Amino acid sequence: MASTVIGAGITIEGEIATDEDIVVAGTVRGKLTAKDSVTIEHGATVEADVVGGSLVVGGALTGNVTAQERVDLQSGARVIGNVKAARVTIADGAQFKGSVDMDV
Amino acid sequence: MAQTRTATGARDASDARIGSAARVRGRIQGQGNLLVEGHVEGNVTLRGDLTIAEGATVTSEAISAQAVHIAGSLEGNVTASGAVRLASGARVRGDLQGSSIVIDDGARFSGKLDCEFDLPPELGGASQGEARGRASNVSGARR
Amino acid sequence: MPSNMSSVTVIGRTTRIHGRVTGAVDLEVQGYVEGEIAVGGDVTVDTQGLVGASVRGRNLLVRGAVRGDLVGDESVLLEAGARVVGDVRAPRVAIAPGALLRGYVQTGDVEATTPRASRTQAAARPVVVQPVARAAQPIQRAAAVPVATPARAQPVPVAVAPKPAPKAQVVAASRRPPPPVVPALRSAKGQIAKKKER
Repeated sequence: MASTVIGAGITIEGEIATDEDIVVAGTVRGKLTAKDSVTIEHGATVEADVVGGSLVVGGALTGNVTAQERVDLQSGARVIGNVKAARVTIADGAQFKGSVDMDV
Repeated sequence: MAQTRTATGARDASDARIGSAARVRGRIQGQGNLLVEGHVEGNVTLRGDLTIAEGATVTSEAISAQAVHIAGSLEGNVTASGAVRLASGARVRGDLQGSSIVIDDGARFSGKLDCEFDLPPELGGASQGEARGRASNVSGARR
Repeated sequence: MPSNMSSVTVIGRTTRIHGRVTGAVDLEVQGYVEGEIAVGGDVTVDTQGLVGASVRGRNLLVRGAVRGDLVGDESVLLEAGARVVGDVRAPRVAIAPGALLRGYVQTGDVEATTPRASRTQAAARPVVVQPVARAAQPIQRAAAVPVATPARAQPVPVAVAPKPAPKAQVVAASRRPPPPVVPALRSAKGQIAKKKER
């Protein structure tokens, strides 16, 4: 269980920052920063720049992404934005529009 | 709680009680405790504790006492050096100030609470502005 | 406890949110929220929770620190350890021993039980309070407070004065005509002349 969960039905407009991990099942607009993993679940809507240790996206994400370790776009994910991470995976069935930078 | 030491001359000389049939208008001042079971209109200044029993009504601009316990109805402002408690049947309109304030679920209350404490620094800490008029409160606070 | 992640929202201990949190569901704050919280469900501010925001929800349970107004559609309960600076409004309000509050409290039934001319105070309250926010004071807080929710500023500072004054005046104006109504009151400068006739 993640330390922070933004459940479905919750909308956060603004900045979120955590030293731990975070799971988003609801809506976030603004900015999202986590030291650990960020999970954007299927059904979630994130319109924010995301910075995290690692990022798993199953939902909709609009914004630029930077991860220390990796970014995984799962099947069903819809991502618009630039992704920057050492490792990036894009699963079959994920929609993605943007650039990938694995130069980190 | 009320009936003790009233009729007997043995009661604490500084204690007082205004019985349920009594109605007092005017200022009340005393060194000891006061139990109000009746009706009071006027300011109350006590060294001791004030108890407003269930069924009692007090209307006052200013009440000052040590501890204040309210189970009846009160309209007026309270300044207590000790604790203030509103029991669940209390009806109070006025501002309360005390070392601690407890409102039981079911009490009806409208007014301002003033209690001395500091918020965590993340939320602005002591926020001196709120402690106005009571320098002692702020003295130890960060600024 | 919450294993079904989708319905439970927890703002974890190290999480800081600056902004608005809205929704129809429950919310638990263990971390820091600054801005505004308005949900249809219950809100719990845990022991370590820090909220610099107005909070609106169905039932509010506070064990942590809040600077901001608390409005509960059903109840607001401040438990031991709660520290709140702000106004509290709900049909049911309870403040447990060990909880600390500075601000106005309004329980649901109060208006009905005390139908008095001075009731207008209730409406006046927020207005009285806000303009008074002293910009000079909370400098230390400035860094942490980009989102200026006005109601949160300092609900309390100047409230002592404004309240009794209007009350007394209203009463004095309306009840004064026969000046020496109550001889016993001479020392009270007419203030407690706001007796009610029964």
